[in-house]
Amino acid sequence: MYKKYLTFALISILAFVPQFLPDDESRFDEWSKSLLCPVCQGETIYDSPSEYADDMRSILQEQINNNMTDNDIYEFWVTRYGEKIITNPIERNYEVVLIPLFLVLIFIYVFLRKLYVKK
Amino acid sequence: MIYNLGILISWLSFSVLIYLFFTKSKYRVHLLVRINLFLQIFLFCLLEIGLFLNDFSVSYIANYSAVSTPPLYKFASLWGSLDGSILLWNLCLSIFMFLYLKYYKIENSNLDIKIFSFITIFFVGYTVFSSSPFAGCIELAIVGCNKSTLIPFQNTLISDLGRGPNPLLQNHPLMAIHPPMLYIGYVGMTLPFVAATSRLFKRDQSDDWIDVAERTTYVPWLFLTIGITLGAAWSYEVLGWGGYWAWDPVENVSFIPWLLATAFLHSSKIQKSSNTLLNWNYILIGLMFLSTIFGTFVTRSGVLISVHAFSNGNIGTYLLFGLTIFSLLFIFIGSKNIEYFSGSKKITNWFGKSGFFVLNNIILFSSALIVFIGTIFPLFYETIYDRQITIGRAYYDILVGPMLLVLLGLMIFSIKLSVRNINLNSWFNENSNLLNLSLVIAIFFLINLNNSYFLVVTVAASVILIILTIKNMVKRIRITDANKTYWTGQIAHLGIAVFALGIVLNVTQSYSTEKEINSFQEFEFNNTSFFVYDSIEENKPEKTIIKLPISNEITTKYTSLNIFRNSSQQAISSPAVFRSLANDIYITVKFIDEDSYKLIVRNNYGILIMWIGLFISSISFIPRLKKRV
Repeated sequence: MYKKYLTFALISILAFVPQFLPDDESRFDEWSKSLLCPVCQGETIYDSPSEYADDMRSILQEQINNNMTDNDIYEFWVTRYGEKIITNPIERNYEVVLIPLFLVLIFIYVFLRKLYVKK
Repeated sequence: MIYNLGILISWLSFSVLIYLFFTKSKYRVHLLVRINLFLQIFLFCLLEIGLFLNDFSVSYIANYSAVSTPPLYKFASLWGSLDGSILLWNLCLSIFMFLYLKYYKIENSNLDIKIFSFITIFFVGYTVFSSSPFAGCIELAIVGCNKSTLIPFQNTLISDLGRGPNPLLQNHPLMAIHPPMLYIGYVGMTLPFVAATSRLFKRDQSDDWIDVAERTTYVPWLFLTIGITLGAAWSYEVLGWGGYWAWDPVENVSFIPWLLATAFLHSSKIQKSSNTLLNWNYILIGLMFLSTIFGTFVTRSGVLISVHAFSNGNIGTYLLFGLTIFSLLFIFIGSKNIEYFSGSKKITNWFGKSGFFVLNNIILFSSALIVFIGTIFPLFYETIYDRQITIGRAYYDILVGPMLLVLLGLMIFSIKLSVRNINLNSWFNENSNLLNLSLVIAIFFLINLNNSYFLVVTVAASVILIILTIKNMVKRIRITDANKTYWTGQIAHLGIAVFALGIVLNVTQSYSTEKEINSFQEFEFNNTSFFVYDSIEENKPEKTIIKLPISNEITTKYTSLNIFRNSSQQAISSPAVFRSLANDIYITVKFIDEDSYKLIVRNNYGILIMWIGLFISSISFIPRLKKRV
């Protein structure tokens, strides 16, 4: 029986520990992972070894050093390259996640209703 | 010569297929399928011969091969661009048609061969009417060929030098195996489609459609798994960005049929054991096949741009046309069977085998749906809102990630699934030590390595899955009555668990730095010192390689920059990889001056573990080789 308590205790620890851990991803990493390198094929400037990405990284580094707000950084890149440069459009466009989730829910509903629970 | 012969033989093969479609005689069916196979093999060899003889009167050869191309890549140039890869597609179709005829033919009807030849006619028709790798060159470009003709016996022009394959495609030997594996996987999805549609066309035919469809799905599934793995490995070894999967459209469209086929391999078992999910299985079979064509359409028509895209004007419309016809055929045959499908039984035990398998299907299909939406989202946005957006990693991390985690959880239960409901209480009592152990490991990871919560739970789930599966194998492997399918599944699951562990390590532990360094200097990384020598320039006929030897006291590896002639593309940088089980030190170079360099040094964790996992999944077919008793 004690094993169950042990499991319960361990799961609780697992659930609560993250609250106390700092988020260690630097702003620079976060941003460089979400900016597309426009001359490369589908790579972010974090991944790309190209010169172009290199230059973009140094501009980004400067912006972060100058404590520019996320909004300003966003505006800076989007006005120059268009929305296409942001590989993580989710934060500003919730529908990008909501539409697929909605469709998945419809699928599950139809699947369970029509295809699966047959009278 | 090759141009004329190629076009004539393509026509011949096309006519043979038309004849095959209309013939009623059994004997002729056997003969014509073999003739078509022979012609397709002949076409394949013919184009290879052309590539090796540098016959630049053929437009395809002039544009995608060069005198200086090394033999291995000349060989691989056959599938280095669109028209050639359709030729390979046709060859695979013809081989599969032959194998189908030999092993899975319906006994009293030719309908299956009719459907099969219909699909083959469609693809061979593309090389006959639209665009062929044998087209003769009638207008030269500065290098290569500008305009070509499909009409035989025209005066052709011969360029002096070929343009050569895309540099990315001639930089690693994996290029010679990765595409054929994928094509076999794609084309193989035709087998279950033909098997199911033809057997369901007339309901007096036998009920073995699910059986045949299931058996014929293993082959494409296996090749798709291998093909995707090799593609990831290639991306990692060649592209120099330190990653293996970018959620690039072409990667996505190979992943969608894989997810659907995996779903089908599970749900077919439920149908076989309890006669449920009939309609669902039929839908999956259709979507598996249609998704391969849709994938080819999306990536080859130029509507989406990616690393792999070699677009061509005609193919888009042509494939869309085919997609429509095959969908209609599929819907038509499905609608003929509505009554039969509605006889599908209801599932009663949600916590038993069928319940878990249904959950598995929901998750795999939803993942496929999400990947599909993510792939076409940019297109959708552009048409509807006139906005260009990019769907990057974050989308898939948020939506697909949790699904795959639930799947890991389901696999744990799959070890001991029975038709009856699982008694969760007794399951817990039996495995509580393990559960606690994996929780401790997870907490350790969380605190020490400061990871995201989601990834930690993945570690816990994969550890428990690996331990339980191996324990179970050791305990039960000698029991002879154990079912082959069961062990195939278990091995595949074990591989996925190992793979998941590798991914978690990779995503959370990897880091990189940049070092500026001169020749004959040393640098320190990950507690190892690396010594950088002087760069060496090596001239090959097709490219110049600038190599930089780097030594870690044990071995010396080269990181290099490949500059291809006949190509306007950027130089490709190849990494030096110092590999160990836990991590790879992955170094790429940028040359600043004569003897000063900028190195990007990455510490990539878990790569070898991932490959091992995928390898284990790929050999999961071994138990099936055992003869039936």
